Amino acid sequence: MSSDSSAAPQPTRAPFRLPLHWLGALPFAIFVLLFLILPTMRIVIGAFQTPEGSFTLENIRGLFTTSILSAYWISIKISIASALLGCLIGFSVAAAVVLGGLPKWIRGPLLTFSGVASNFAGVPLAFAFLATLGPVGLLTVFLRTELGIDLRALGFNILSFWGLTVTYLFFQIPLMILIITPALDGLKREWREAAQILGATNAQYWRLVAFPILLPSFLGTLALLFANSFGAVATAIALTGSSLSIVPILLFAQIRGDVLGNPHLGYALAFGMIVITGIANTIYIWLRARSERWLK
Amino acid sequence: MKKLWAWGALTVGLLYFILPLLGMTNFSLKMRRGVYSLDAYAVVLGDPRFQETFVFSILMALATIIFGVLLVVPTAYWVRLKLPGLRPYIEFVTLLPLVIPAIVIVFGYIRLYNTSSWLPLTGSITGTNILLMFGYATLALPYMYRSVDTGLRSIDIATLTEAAQSLGAGWTTILAKIILPNVLVAVLSGAFLTFAIVIGEFTMAALLNRPAFGPYMQLLGANRAYEPAALAVMSFALTWGCLGLIQLVSRFQKGVQSAA
Amino acid sequence: MSFLTLTHVQKSFGPVQVVKDFNMSIEKGEFISFLGPSGCGKTTILRMIAGFETPSGGTISINGKSQQNLRPNQRNIGMVFQAYALFPNMNVAENVAFGLKVAGAPKTEIAARVKEMLGLIRLDHLADRYPYQMSGGQQQRVALARALAPKPQVLLLDEPLSALDAKIRVSLREEIRAIQQKLGITTVFVTHDQEEALSISDRIVVMNAGKADQIGTPFEVYNTPATRFVASFVGTLNVIEAKVVDPASNRVAIGDQQLTLRHSIAAFKAGDPISLAMRPETGSLAESAEGDTALTGKVVSAHFLGSVIRTRMDLGGSTISFDMFNNPGLLPPAAGETVTLRFAASDLLVLLD
Repeated sequence: MSSDSSAAPQPTRAPFRLPLHWLGALPFAIFVLLFLILPTMRIVIGAFQTPEGSFTLENIRGLFTTSILSAYWISIKISIASALLGCLIGFSVAAAVVLGGLPKWIRGPLLTFSGVASNFAGVPLAFAFLATLGPVGLLTVFLRTELGIDLRALGFNILSFWGLTVTYLFFQIPLMILIITPALDGLKREWREAAQILGATNAQYWRLVAFPILLPSFLGTLALLFANSFGAVATAIALTGSSLSIVPILLFAQIRGDVLGNPHLGYALAFGMIVITGIANTIYIWLRARSERWLK
Repeated sequence: MKKLWAWGALTVGLLYFILPLLGMTNFSLKMRRGVYSLDAYAVVLGDPRFQETFVFSILMALATIIFGVLLVVPTAYWVRLKLPGLRPYIEFVTLLPLVIPAIVIVFGYIRLYNTSSWLPLTGSITGTNILLMFGYATLALPYMYRSVDTGLRSIDIATLTEAAQSLGAGWTTILAKIILPNVLVAVLSGAFLTFAIVIGEFTMAALLNRPAFGPYMQLLGANRAYEPAALAVMSFALTWGCLGLIQLVSRFQKGVQSAA
Repeated sequence: MSFLTLTHVQKSFGPVQVVKDFNMSIEKGEFISFLGPSGCGKTTILRMIAGFETPSGGTISINGKSQQNLRPNQRNIGMVFQAYALFPNMNVAENVAFGLKVAGAPKTEIAARVKEMLGLIRLDHLADRYPYQMSGGQQQRVALARALAPKPQVLLLDEPLSALDAKIRVSLREEIRAIQQKLGITTVFVTHDQEEALSISDRIVVMNAGKADQIGTPFEVYNTPATRFVASFVGTLNVIEAKVVDPASNRVAIGDQQLTLRHSIAAFKAGDPISLAMRPETGSLAESAEGDTALTGKVVSAHFLGSVIRTRMDLGGSTISFDMFNNPGLLPPAAGETVTLRFAASDLLVLLD
């Protein structure tokens, strides 16, 4: 810099301004803090506190009792079963429509219907299944009187593990269809043709190209469906009352009436739910980013 | 051969969708012994508890929608215009309600805003209603924010804003008269989805002890046989209605855009 | 014995006949371009050679063997697609290795062949990259290496350059030609870009509405177009409407000027209308109408394009344009000026249909 510049008139310094534009995001930030972040933090912190407020791992350790572990285990089993079956059936339906050479007009109505069905959860869904597969449900009666198949004699009960799984599938399958259809659309015709012309059989194309490309979407959706059924409370309560001890029902009862006899054990129970759905969703987001990069 | 497999998969899938709907409809019509009748519907619709809770939930849904629009539209607009660096964080935050189960969030509310806390919202009926509305707004946040943000992406908000400012418009005018009409379709889509979520929501309303439609349905389901099926049919129709309206609105927007 | 032959090949999609009775023999090692506008059937022929479409009639044979009942994966053909079509889940080396891998080649052989191919396209250093990490030009070179790795008997290129930038398009087409000549592989190249076809082909097939209008070397196709379509699609062309004066002496009239053609027009009668064609670069300005043949007209406009000056001239009815090289010592013609264009009589083509 030359010394002359000091003789030149000083440029008028811009008056210092508070970064006011940050204020525009303030209402949102306050809302999210008060009604999403802080309540969640309260639970997380509470899981590591004694009733007096000092740090402890006792609540977490308290989760490892037979009844609570079995509640988690049933929840996880139902979530895995409904996510896996939802993925497989949903994938088959989406693949049938996208790749199976079915008439084009089926696609629009199917996606619309999936949009509705994936939102049709909660209490009414439970009623629908009770009316269909319950003791006097449409299908139960039909199978018994017309085909001589007694579901109950076969060990099926709508208020059980399989009953809940079958019910959850009603929103899991459409959700899978909604998410996997774009991924199937993303499979370019040229990939199949390039593989064929390079000498690959149809099976080799699926094993080496199509399946690996779809795998992140598939696994990602599996994780999402898992979290989706793990957090479902209303359907479970409306269907089974409190007869099936899964984590959301247990937590519901705990919040209502401290059935565990230790308020901070409730925090730990909820914390466990956050951890499990958090892991599942992280897997989903990570895998989705990966497949989006490929299909760009 | 290949087609046969495809038709098979589709048929199994469709049966899965249709049988429960058939089951609940069939059941809802069988209240009178031996004949199909609409008795179950008449009983439900005539139940004052039904009317009360249904009206309560509709009011809650409307309040949630108004609050959600007022919160989300200015924020999404402002973030796109002035704070684009914040977008990934906001997006992450708006996805959190999908990760944290509703039961956990409401558990946090009960502990945080009880009568002995600094903000005793659960201490009064009005306070609890407001808390429930905030809870619903949280549940609807992922859908509302994404819908509006996608809507904003398709218009050039920077140019629109500068044009409005050069004509002397203030922020309120810009938001109400320029931005909102341009993202109206996105806002409506978010609103209908919010409506569908709020109207049948069970967990939050039950744990905050508010007389909403969701808990009423659950209560009825525990005590009655045919009426719950009628309720299920009605809420399915309601969900269809809301999502049908979304389709209709977005089709209308496509029509407008292609005409422009 | 030609290597790749197409005999009476036709293809219909429903009522639409996209390829009509197509016949062609391609020699081993030849570089053939299919040139034509979109929808002319060129890509359909390529896809029939590959086996993605089944001909509605006729036969395709490679090296004397009919391809009729062979699926694409049994034909040993290499193909490069317009949109690269690299497998996104594999890196460059894995993409190139794919053909050998599905054929069950031993690992050491695959590794050696991949190395060789990457050397050929000069991308050895990117072997571990994934397609999304590369530019379009790089991806298309990898696609070429992938197609060549299994040593195919024929290489098919389906508009491989049209998704790329202009600059890369030129360098890559030269690279493709060099590799093709080095390997001596029989190649069919589909394009709608006449410059591409002219610059790298041994022979060009000009396709129009499902049939070949002309098959010939770039030189033949450009200089002696067989049909009006070929003449207008390949290069730019002035079409001049004239009248036959005397068929026996090849005399025609353009406006009130008469001249003698080199081509025989014995099939015409005196007074018949006749279409003539002339490339813009064939003439030169002359002071007077001496020499071979000349046309005089008024300059409508003259555009200075740098190395070339493009002048439009009114012949009293039809307007033609001609190019001449820039000469710093000479001013370009001005509008309104009357000039004479001199050219060889053989440069004036007769358009028959």
